Amino acid sequence: MAHETPRSAREARAAARSERSAARAARSPYSAIHTGPGRFLTAVYGMLAFAAVGRVTYQLLLKFSEAPFAYTLSALSAVVYILATVCLVIGSRASHHIAVAACIFEGVGVLVVGTLSFTHPEYFAHDSVWSAFGLGYGFVPLVLPFIGLWWLRRVQRGVEARRGVETRHG
Amino acid sequence: MIPELTYLLIGFSLLLAVVSLILALRNRAAGRWTLVGTGLLLTMLLIQTVVSVLMWGQSPSTDGILFFGYLLTALMLVPLAGAWAYAELTRWGPAVLAAAGATVAVMIERMNQIWM
Repeated sequence: MAHETPRSAREARAAARSERSAARAARSPYSAIHTGPGRFLTAVYGMLAFAAVGRVTYQLLLKFSEAPFAYTLSALSAVVYILATVCLVIGSRASHHIAVAACIFEGVGVLVVGTLSFTHPEYFAHDSVWSAFGLGYGFVPLVLPFIGLWWLRRVQRGVEARRGVETRHG
Repeated sequence: MIPELTYLLIGFSLLLAVVSLILALRNRAAGRWTLVGTGLLLTMLLIQTVVSVLMWGQSPSTDGILFFGYLLTALMLVPLAGAWAYAELTRWGPAVLAAAGATVAVMIERMNQIWM
């Protein structure tokens, strides 16, 4: 199927990409993270990281004294979103584990901060990404880490299944 | 901000998001028409940029860094998402475009709130 005559330059490029990703998969089974929904996840993570960084740069440079706690939190979450995005792009064994840790941190962060923003609103007079469970970002910060964990888990299971097959045949 | 242009921008980016979502749900890749739509959205954003610069004098209390920060982000996001969607030959290409379209609609609404 990969050796049909390409109809257009676009399909030729896509075929070259899929060959490269097959070569990567041969080197590291964790690069399965780059297939299908994984790429969508990476794109959405990238957008969220970009939005968080843009917002926090503005807050830290111009408004930091107004709400140091909320803005420090924003900075922390922005760093973790970048970390998760970079790890999803790399797709190696180590980056897979770091991405899992980052997703867990984000998931816990959005739940804890989301709850605190209702029980202790005095700390959150100014918004951080995680206030009110990520309401300001359409609840994407609430949903994304769990989708991320689901996808990472699926890739992990694929790697383990492959390893099991190799052990049986070796 | 001209209200008509704002509504047009929000409406068009939402339309692009919905069409892309339908394509993704129907398991189609992004094609020529989504590319044209992305180009149109980018053109409208460029018009918005020109309009914002020309009307800047009429809005003395607008936070310029915030406003143009949003505008520049949208201007970068749209072509990046368009290129991403076009490079991908699966349903996940239009899915990216759907996410970007919804994001741009929200960003335009935020710009509308910031503009005073």
